[in-house]
Amino acid sequence: MSRLHLLVAAAGLLFLPLGVRAANRLHPTPNLQPSYLPAIDEPRDRVPFEASRVPDLARMQPAYVVIGDSMAGSRIDPVLFTRLASVRVAPLLYAGSGPAWWYLALKNWVIPSGVHPRCVFVFFRDTNLTNVMFRIESTWVLDTAARDREDDLNAVVARRRGNAFYRLRTAIERFYQAPQARRWVTPAVNQWPANLMIAYRKPRAAFLERVNERFDLGHLRPMDAADMQATEDREADFDAFVDKSELPLMLRDAAQAGLRLCFTRVQRRPEGNRPPFQSPALQRYTAKLKAYIERHGAIFLDDTGDPAQTLDWYADGDHLSREGRERYTELFVSRVRQRFP
Amino acid sequence: MIFHSLDFVVFFVVVVALYWRLPHRGQNVLLLVAGYVFYGYVHPWFLILIASSTLVDYASARGMERWPERRRLFMAASILSNFGMLGFFKYFNFFIDNLERVLRAAGLHADLPVLRVLLPVGISFYTFQAMSYTIDVFRGELRARRSLLDVAVFISFFPHLVAGPIQRASYLLPQVEGQRRFSVPAAASGFYLMVWGFFKKLVIADNVGVIANKVFALSDPSFEILWAGVFAFAIQIYADFSAYTDIARGSSRWLGFELTENFDHPYFARTPADFWRRWNISLSSWFRDYVYIPLGGSRASEWRWMRNVIVTFLLSGLWHGASWNYVLWGLYHGVLLVITRAHQILRPPKGLEPGAGRPSSFGLRQIAQTLGMFLLTLFGWLLFRETQWSAIVRDVRLTPWHSPSFDRQAGLFLFLSTLAYSIPLWAQSLCIELHRGRDAGGDHSLEGWTGAAMRAVACGTAFAGILVLRSRTSLDFIYFQF
Repeated sequence: MSRLHLLVAAAGLLFLPLGVRAANRLHPTPNLQPSYLPAIDEPRDRVPFEASRVPDLARMQPAYVVIGDSMAGSRIDPVLFTRLASVRVAPLLYAGSGPAWWYLALKNWVIPSGVHPRCVFVFFRDTNLTNVMFRIESTWVLDTAARDREDDLNAVVARRRGNAFYRLRTAIERFYQAPQARRWVTPAVNQWPANLMIAYRKPRAAFLERVNERFDLGHLRPMDAADMQATEDREADFDAFVDKSELPLMLRDAAQAGLRLCFTRVQRRPEGNRPPFQSPALQRYTAKLKAYIERHGAIFLDDTGDPAQTLDWYADGDHLSREGRERYTELFVSRVRQRFP
Repeated sequence: MIFHSLDFVVFFVVVVALYWRLPHRGQNVLLLVAGYVFYGYVHPWFLILIASSTLVDYASARGMERWPERRRLFMAASILSNFGMLGFFKYFNFFIDNLERVLRAAGLHADLPVLRVLLPVGISFYTFQAMSYTIDVFRGELRARRSLLDVAVFISFFPHLVAGPIQRASYLLPQVEGQRRFSVPAAASGFYLMVWGFFKKLVIADNVGVIANKVFALSDPSFEILWAGVFAFAIQIYADFSAYTDIARGSSRWLGFELTENFDHPYFARTPADFWRRWNISLSSWFRDYVYIPLGGSRASEWRWMRNVIVTFLLSGLWHGASWNYVLWGLYHGVLLVITRAHQILRPPKGLEPGAGRPSSFGLRQIAQTLGMFLLTLFGWLLFRETQWSAIVRDVRLTPWHSPSFDRQAGLFLFLSTLAYSIPLWAQSLCIELHRGRDAGGDHSLEGWTGAAMRAVACGTAFAGILVLRSRTSLDFIYFQF
């Protein structure tokens, strides 16, 4: 075997995938709008922006707005909150959402609605607020709250993800037009077995829909649905990540709109009768996060270590049970009353 | 650092470019630095462990040679330090958890401390490799090395550092010490191995891994869905682990090293013994040489032999992880071997002499044997993948008669999806098995321009496959956790 053979293999590796570009021509895709996150995303079909949220909020004129994911959803009962506090509460909750969605919900729904609630609560776990990549790939969630351009969000994503390796990978993929190819190859490969099993399109589509439903959250084992992966210490570097996150954007936009933000850190699942373990790095991170938020005129609440929130409040993972949710809402309302009399 | 990242590709290109410009000692220094950068890339504190393991084993081996009358003491020091480290990081919480259960069963309540540190990746691999050095020196099969650098490179050689194949000191150390030359054929074959390894990991293992993860997350799987998931896991673990081995072996060849094979198309095995000659060969042979044979091996009464097999497989199961399901998996394979042996004694097989190599023919009987062994292997993977005892019991009780018709269809859909992604894997194994059947031991590699052109097409197709079919969900190599 000669050096020339090795060169031929290398040439095959580099030039044969150009066939992907040629194959793309046989599968034209519609002209798609660029993504609002071009730093990590290709042009694609998107879920429409939920514009009706803005007039809904304006009509409702809530006294409190609650933004968050299932952590907030399994803790705050908006109906009970409204009854106990005798004021309107607007929940902006999406299970599986992350800080990008929370920021977009504030920027694109709450602020344009012109409402001036007493407080906008944002629920989060540990390092969520400075981890811009947390659930950023859940695009179907983000789409609901994103405008056609989200330059500020894209900029922080690019700062966090935009290292040389990532840019190189993206450049290679774009050169070979891999994202375009994925648009027609992936469905073809994934649906091939269904095509083999079911001849007609409609029942096939219904079957695939049912397969997806078979694996939804309701069918998962409790701890697999729980999403309770512990925070890694490398994420708990506040100084390194704060300027590459949505947190400064949320604080800036809220201040400009005259809104008061309250960031509520939920307590993760206790361990027996003890509060959850917090590494020294996470404790340092939390202290810095609190100081930063308060320095920017917002409020920081921390449930961690609250002796009232015992393990029997919890269902799976960090989620509270239905009873726990009621008790949490009662506790939360009493705290809110003290702070916003 | 992980293989399937661009960081590794750039790191590897830089290391290779520098490596061949250096003299032999400089190459070893570079390999040591590269190994430590590779291992400490994300968690630098891991380096304390590998460095201390290296120092203790180097000093123990030197001590054994310097003071032969105290060699047991030095061996004990090496065993204690390696197993102590492994036990502390890997098995401490397992021990505490089980102790708490026993105390609770006895009506006692204890709040025992729990270790809150990350399990250092690959700790089971490099401690076993380091142990092979001191054990071989203890047995007098290897002389202790004077050069700490050589021993450190042997332990921290980055291509196989975190997931094997585990190399014996007697095999790898001479390569560390000897002069190495760049060889085009070795580099070319290494290149193919790496491309194939990346394809197996990114396209096959990660895509079918998503199916397996979904099925094993279900609280109410049906028989068909569960076994489609087990099939997906079987493909995932083989594609994933053998991909790591291929990338490790391929990258080693670029550095002038040759690592041993770790897989030999294990799903074409026909008996449990055959399976273990083909699956994770480096670990199997480690247990054979350092546990099974010292226990007496097969040169003992049938009962003692059975005990030796069961003990070896229980330990091998426990090596994989601190959980009872791994022990059960080991026990299951041990029992399979014992049953096969008993069957062979009662009914000597035709065409498969005990101890002989694999049969060369590939007829109906052999196909049935292969299928049967694959089904037995699948059951083993169920025990391996399910970490909860209650889930194993539930899975075993599932029958095909009670499944809703939709679940039957869904199971078939998942099975076909897995099959579609794994076609290249099966095709490769089948080609090699058929070739082996025709001419055992023959070299069937295509030479000349035809071979070069075919390899170029294979490389290009694999790279195009990686670009387009790479899973959006990037999973860690499974064996990292062990």
